[in-house]
Amino acid sequence: MTFTGGLAVSCRNVTVGYGPASLVIPELDLEVDRGEMVALLGPSGSGKTTILSVVAGFLRARSGEIEVGGRLVAGPDRHEPPERRDLAVVFQGYALWPHMNALDTVAFPIRRRGVVAAEARREAARILDVLAIGHLADRRPAELSGGEQQRVGLGRALARNASLYLFDEPTAHLDAALRERLQSEIVLHRRRSGAGALYATHDTSEALALADRVVLIRGGRIVQQGAPATVYACPVDLWAARLTGPASIIDVRLGGRGPGRVPVDVAGCAQTVEVESADPVVAGPVRAVVRPDWVRLGGDLPATVEMVAFRGPHADYRLATPAGSVGLRVPGRPVIALGEAISWTLERLWVVGDDAARPMDVSL
Amino acid sequence: MTDAPRARRAAILAVAAAAALLVGWPIARLLGVALEEGPAQIVTTLTGARVGTAVWNTVWTAALTALVAVLAGTAAALVTERTGVPGRRWLRIGILLPIVVPPFVSAFGWTRAFGPRGLSDQLFGISLPGLYGPLGIVLVLSVAATPLVWLIVAGALATRVEPDLERAARTSGAGRIVTLRTVTLPLLRPALLSAAVVVFVFAVNAFGVPAVLGAPAGFTTITTRLYQDLALSADPAAFVRATTLAVSLIVLASAVVGSADALLAGRATSRTALPAGAPAGSAGGRVLALLLGGAIALTTILPFSALGLAAVTRAAGLAPVPANWTLDNFATAIDGRFVAGLGHSLLLSVVAATVVLGLGAIAAGVLRGRSRSLGTTVTLGFAVPGSALAVGVLLAYGGWLRNSLAIILVAYVAKFWALGYRQLAGSVDRLPADQVRAARASGATPLDALRSVIVPFMRPSLVAAWLIVFVFALHELTMSSLLYGPNSATLAVVVLNVQQLGDSTVTAALALLLTGIVALAAAPLAVLWAVLAPAGTNGRRRRRDRRPELAT
Repeated sequence: MTFTGGLAVSCRNVTVGYGPASLVIPELDLEVDRGEMVALLGPSGSGKTTILSVVAGFLRARSGEIEVGGRLVAGPDRHEPPERRDLAVVFQGYALWPHMNALDTVAFPIRRRGVVAAEARREAARILDVLAIGHLADRRPAELSGGEQQRVGLGRALARNASLYLFDEPTAHLDAALRERLQSEIVLHRRRSGAGALYATHDTSEALALADRVVLIRGGRIVQQGAPATVYACPVDLWAARLTGPASIIDVRLGGRGPGRVPVDVAGCAQTVEVESADPVVAGPVRAVVRPDWVRLGGDLPATVEMVAFRGPHADYRLATPAGSVGLRVPGRPVIALGEAISWTLERLWVVGDDAARPMDVSL
Repeated sequence: MTDAPRARRAAILAVAAAAALLVGWPIARLLGVALEEGPAQIVTTLTGARVGTAVWNTVWTAALTALVAVLAGTAAALVTERTGVPGRRWLRIGILLPIVVPPFVSAFGWTRAFGPRGLSDQLFGISLPGLYGPLGIVLVLSVAATPLVWLIVAGALATRVEPDLERAARTSGAGRIVTLRTVTLPLLRPALLSAAVVVFVFAVNAFGVPAVLGAPAGFTTITTRLYQDLALSADPAAFVRATTLAVSLIVLASAVVGSADALLAGRATSRTALPAGAPAGSAGGRVLALLLGGAIALTTILPFSALGLAAVTRAAGLAPVPANWTLDNFATAIDGRFVAGLGHSLLLSVVAATVVLGLGAIAAGVLRGRSRSLGTTVTLGFAVPGSALAVGVLLAYGGWLRNSLAIILVAYVAKFWALGYRQLAGSVDRLPADQVRAARASGATPLDALRSVIVPFMRPSLVAAWLIVFVFALHELTMSSLLYGPNSATLAVVVLNVQQLGDSTVTAALALLLTGIVALAAAPLAVLWAVLAPAGTNGRRRRRDRRPELAT
């Protein structure tokens, strides 16, 4: 048995699939530190749930090694069942047992540790109190709302006292307000426990808001990983750019070498722009990602407003420009009407290639 | 638009009238005749030594059968649906195999396989003691009922016990056994209870098996007693005794069904199923597959093979070796009575299946979501033991229809209506309401919507309902044996009569032919099952099959 310092989970060369020709996870190398929250972000069908299932032990890996809490749980000729892995799972559909009330549900993992019934119930009641659902202790799942159910699910996971928490889109079935409340509770309690966490989601804002590190998954592969601000600002390709937030793609011509402040020709109009890129770029035509907050109203560039959407705290516009369609976000309520001709300034852009054929890491 | 509710009301009335004529009136007549004699007479009859023994025998063999079949069927379902046994598809087919074998044929097969002078006696000099008698009855009925339990439990495993519920227990630190005890079994409890009720009613209802295995040992049940009193006796006192027995059958069945209904009330909620998570194939999986396969071979395939050998052996008692083989038994078996019986059975089955399909479709359509009591009446027909229903039909319509095929048809339709209704009602409940609305909103008339959306969606269920009724009617024995006349014997009755004359090789040939015909009719059903199996939709099954090796 090998021990690896303070890692909550470590996957090395893990593959999952039916045969060599059809791998769901072609090869996975992924580590989560103790105390770290890692979001697996990808569209549905990208393999997030499969990754969680193989770590939890619901699925058997074809090859590779998995350590949880420093203990080898999967490897050649080794497959520990889920109950012998030091981890807890919060399920998308809650997975609450219809015949057990909230207290018994949360006491269940405590009982499995060999704690006597009375003591386990006391501990479970404490956890329910911490989650502010102590008054629901004797309710069964059918008598609980979605948010309350998932809080019981969270309580059951916390009661496990594990080194690693797996969250499988736990807020997918909740409405927006509840989702935000539950997210903050997950962050608070998981952090308090000091364990590592893998959080699968297809919701970009959730991933960026919750995680210490975001891992983008496509076809079972890691496309990019990094701090939330990094994957937002520096996506490795167009697919990653669209996945990590609102992105406009425009074609421009650089007047000098990047990165840095470079004169840029935007559809015949010259401007000095903060150009960033993973690799050095030379003068010439490039394809660039522009986030809505990298564009400012007023300036030299012409545009017509082709869409206005009021979002509450801010308003989103889509501008038809000679360089292409560009999104713009302005705080407050809409001040420009549809079809109005305006001027704008490009402050910053990120140069990308076409979608990467193979996975790569970007560290900036 | 006022004619739509009016048409609906007319349809409900038609269903109610059919239910009253087919189920209500026969049972009312039965109760009337039995009560005419007064409660004192009923008590005397029931406490009389002969009848009392028959009632008691029926109760305890049925209860024991329910226990054995529920244990066996549940274990089989857990193995095929929750472990990664190799050859799972073949095991499922093997488990369901007894459905196509008429139970009394299976009983006869057991006597050829394990009875005195049977296959195991000839080969190894061992025979199963007590095969003739209650032990044999319980064993053979349990084998016949195990597929029913498997279907109910496997269905519940797919719909009630989401794999995530078991996974949640495993990641909470519970091992396989603790998960089974604390999560899987408690969630299965309603399914296990209803399976036990179904098997109990099935066993109370059984006539062929106790007739073949009980009668030679002098072990009588309510149904064999009824048969003796009704079919073999002209004594008016015997007829009164028969009605009392029939009523006690109904009371027995409805007491069990009723109390189970009360226990199950309000617990029928189930959420959508996710792909099942089954542990990976391993050495343990192979052992389980071998055990289950061995059980299927011993209880189903071997008796049937023994039957086949007996059918081609020149005379009972000869060693089943090629030197003694002959096809003469088939030549003897296929006589005028056989051909007439086959004709009657096919005619009755086709007509009954078609009538049931029509009635079932109308009932499922108009009773959708309302008129629970009417639906219950329809279902009641199936819960009422066949012998009792046959006596009731005889009392209600015997005056005009005695000894005709029509009276058998009435009994078949009354009995099997529920089968068709259940099948179709389930499908109607899953009807995509929005697709119908979309068709109407696109300009379709109600008839267009029926033709273009509803019928295509329900086609598998319609075919399955027809085939199920056809197969059940083809090997129905209990009611046919009480209702047939000189010119209306069905194939199963012909086989039973030959069996009771004691010519075992010809009986074997006949039994083989009967099973062959049933299996032929059931083959398309098996294909349907393979497509829809075990309890999910096509898409769901495909998703499950696509999952990689699943782990412990």
